[in-house]
Amino acid sequence: MRRYETILIVRPNVAEDEIEAVISKTSSIIEGDGGTIIRIDKWGLKKLAYLIKKESQGYYVYIDYAGIPASVSEVERIFRIDDKILKYLTVKQAESCDPEAVKEELASAEAAQTSDEGETKEENAGTAEAAKTTTEVEVKEEKSSTSEEVQTSDEGEAKEENADTAEAAKTATEVEVKEEKASTSEEVQTD
Amino acid sequence: MPPKKRIFPRQKVCRFCADKSLVIDYKEVRTLRNFVTERGKIIPSRIYGNCAKHQRKLTDAIKKARQIALMPYAGPTYL
Repeated sequence: MRRYETILIVRPNVAEDEIEAVISKTSSIIEGDGGTIIRIDKWGLKKLAYLIKKESQGYYVYIDYAGIPASVSEVERIFRIDDKILKYLTVKQAESCDPEAVKEELASAEAAQTSDEGETKEENAGTAEAAKTTTEVEVKEEKSSTSEEVQTSDEGEAKEENADTAEAAKTATEVEVKEEKASTSEEVQTD
Repeated sequence: MPPKKRIFPRQKVCRFCADKSLVIDYKEVRTLRNFVTERGKIIPSRIYGNCAKHQRKLTDAIKKARQIALMPYAGPTYL
């Protein structure tokens, strides 16, 4: 049994129950081959980074499962036939997988998260918003400083100053990124 | 006589080695965004000083994210 994850993009104008039908069909194929579904996440409507089949938006569905290679090829064959599906991507996560153990792990992680949530949620809500607004500025700063760095890398004189600012920006963004990550993972959990 | 070029060797540390909690995942676009230019090109490791191992993983992750349209191949799309 191998562990796979599949992301599929469904056309944005497709109704909710049709998406549901696609998911249930996929899971029935996987389970029919003796696999198990570990997690299904609906990321919802997202903007695509580029046009796919003339669509600029797509409904993302994430499926995490343990299965055999044959079921992956079967699932992908179905996806190719179905023209509601714009694109899909399957990634092998692990060569061997014990679905029960993984599920237990996920459940315990979730329990830990929910017990934490009550205490830290309010704090997070405040900081997340602040973080969002500051990162934009931070990122811009970083970009300008790095481009400067590239330009002046041969001159040496002005470099030290730049280096300092770049470093400061870097550390600032690192913290920012971490905070944001924490908040996004919580969002996913609460979904 | 031109001014002597002075080199300031600055030890750059790989972010992912320094901070173990920062994971490279193609699904987490917010982390990956820091390592591409505005036009979506991957920034070489000499700029941020990522180690070879992590730069490799980063490149793989960015390329996967591009395949599933989480990140652009070339620049933001202006429609």
